[in-house]
Amino acid sequence: MKLVEALKILRDNPPTGSENHNVFLACGFTPLHLQTFLGAYLRRLFPDRRISIHTGLFSDCLGNLERLPKSPLDAVAVVLEWDDLDPRLGLRQLGGWGPGIHSDILTNVENRLDRFFKAIVDAADEYPVALCSPTLPLPPISFQPRWQDGAFELELHDSLGRFSATIARIRGVRVASRQRLEEESPASERRDIKSELTTGFPYRLAHASTVAGFLARLICPPAPKKGLITDLDDTLWHGILGEVGIRGITWDLDHHSLIHGLYQQVLGSLAETGVLIAAASKNNRETVDQAIQREDLVIPGRYLFPVEAHWGPKSDSVGRILRTWNIAADSVVFVDDSPLELAEVKAAYPDIECLRFPTHDYREAYAFLGELRDLLGKETIVAEDSIRRESLRRSALFHEGDSASLTPSMGFLKDVEAELSLDFAKDPEDPRAFELINKTNQFNLNGRRYSQGRWRDYLRQLDTFLLRVAYRDKFGPLGTIAVLAGRRQPEALQIDFWVMSCRAFSRRIEHRCLEQLFEQLEVERIAFDYQPTQRNGPLQDFFSSLLDGVPQPGFQLTRDRFKARCPALFHRLVSLPNG
Amino acid sequence: MADLQSRLIDCFSGVFPMLAADEIPRASTTTVEAWDSIATATLMAVMEEQFGIQVAPEDLDRFVSFREILAYLQSREIAD
Repeated sequence: MKLVEALKILRDNPPTGSENHNVFLACGFTPLHLQTFLGAYLRRLFPDRRISIHTGLFSDCLGNLERLPKSPLDAVAVVLEWDDLDPRLGLRQLGGWGPGIHSDILTNVENRLDRFFKAIVDAADEYPVALCSPTLPLPPISFQPRWQDGAFELELHDSLGRFSATIARIRGVRVASRQRLEEESPASERRDIKSELTTGFPYRLAHASTVAGFLARLICPPAPKKGLITDLDDTLWHGILGEVGIRGITWDLDHHSLIHGLYQQVLGSLAETGVLIAAASKNNRETVDQAIQREDLVIPGRYLFPVEAHWGPKSDSVGRILRTWNIAADSVVFVDDSPLELAEVKAAYPDIECLRFPTHDYREAYAFLGELRDLLGKETIVAEDSIRRESLRRSALFHEGDSASLTPSMGFLKDVEAELSLDFAKDPEDPRAFELINKTNQFNLNGRRYSQGRWRDYLRQLDTFLLRVAYRDKFGPLGTIAVLAGRRQPEALQIDFWVMSCRAFSRRIEHRCLEQLFEQLEVERIAFDYQPTQRNGPLQDFFSSLLDGVPQPGFQLTRDRFKARCPALFHRLVSLPNG
Repeated sequence: MADLQSRLIDCFSGVFPMLAADEIPRASTTTVEAWDSIATATLMAVMEEQFGIQVAPEDLDRFVSFREILAYLQSREIAD
């Protein structure tokens, strides 16, 4: 982004009365253009919000962090440079660069990193923190020629590496990737010596824009895609299965096809973090079933679910896979080596992310593997990620077991031995609750998304409550599948958030949740902060069945009406000890 | 010349969004309250970006009015 473009983005104010988005930018240099770029990137991410970037005193990054303003913030961005760890590692103070002071600098850096660690942990207790560790090269302080690393410089990098590795484990702290920064902004193109010495701003504009872009993504990461549908021939493996047979397909060095093995390795790794992986191939079903049973496949065949193999259009396969997963096309990546197949799927599902597997170009193929991580990578792995694929298989069994797709019979529901765990413990740090609030679309009360800071602030209010619901039945556990949050008001219980994973539909869990709210919280009336969205049709249908009409924003439901409309429920209830 | 002026007006409108286009040619540090050292640094960076030039630190003293800056650019023989 150019500076003039950033200024123009910030010039166009959002409508009056817009929500504020407050970010504190802690850095030791004058924030100048970094502040402008950060504001502009955040404005792009939050076009309806008024972006305020607060800054502190020049040359006191640590102090600014230790004295964060009391007013509520949505996030804190910390941009460290070497002179924040010891001014002698910067260019604006003449404290000497002789070898005699190196050990003193090392000691000082360790001490400062300890203080930064404490300040960042304290900040992360209140707000999400995005951290960018020093990006500028060290000045010519060492006595070795620049092609040689001396122990002093290596120890400095070692201290910083240990600090970053430890702080990255703190919940609420996200650290900018040094490797990716290096790819987008080479080290030799970062420092603006004239600007640093004249205005105190040390970055070239392009580097400032890159750092700001990283910070904005760390503050508001894009929602990761949930699933990937892959072609098989010349994509998951090299070769056309129908021509070369099960033993003829390859993904190894000997056949110059290892790039397909690397692709399998990435898919396997994504599958183990809860990303859904399916296959769509124009092939004979039996042959495909045998091929994916090959034991040397890098991604175990059981990770592919469902597998669509037939001679019909790929878009038909994609449609069936989306229905099995019960997720929308815009949450899915489709990979194929054929531009024709990609175009056919894109025409049927314009929202799907279609990527061509670059079979014949190793360089492009390697970059493609990185792109998959960007699209499907996630910040943390929660327990539900490890059971998602199996729970989908079970869900398929669940519906097959009753041979009715959406409305299982009462007898069937009675026999599945369903068990619901209700947990009223209010844990603002629970990543699963936050994840469900921010990624669920279909059963979502209002589609509202919250930043981590706002979610924490919300739950820290005394009158709010949080209910997390986990489900299991004789087919296995689904994990935490629903979250409700609201406030106790004198006239009614106010529900501000209600989301439920699509994997949990058709089990009357939503009815049980309402029943338990009425009973456990002893209220006669519940008010819902409902808003229709383009995607929350299943939630609208549920309420329509209780209200005998389309729900309206802010509608209320009484205990008597609910009782009159509630069907028979068979779940065994487990209340957790702190519930 | 006319194009150089309009490109400079574009730079000014980014840095001083409160100024109307017809006010910009008369802008100076004495007439624009928001024109402080940070605005000067931002203006310099925007101009370097837009005109592909490097402004020498000693030339910053000339950044006191639109007219002076336009003359500076003309002296640098920036292509229209």
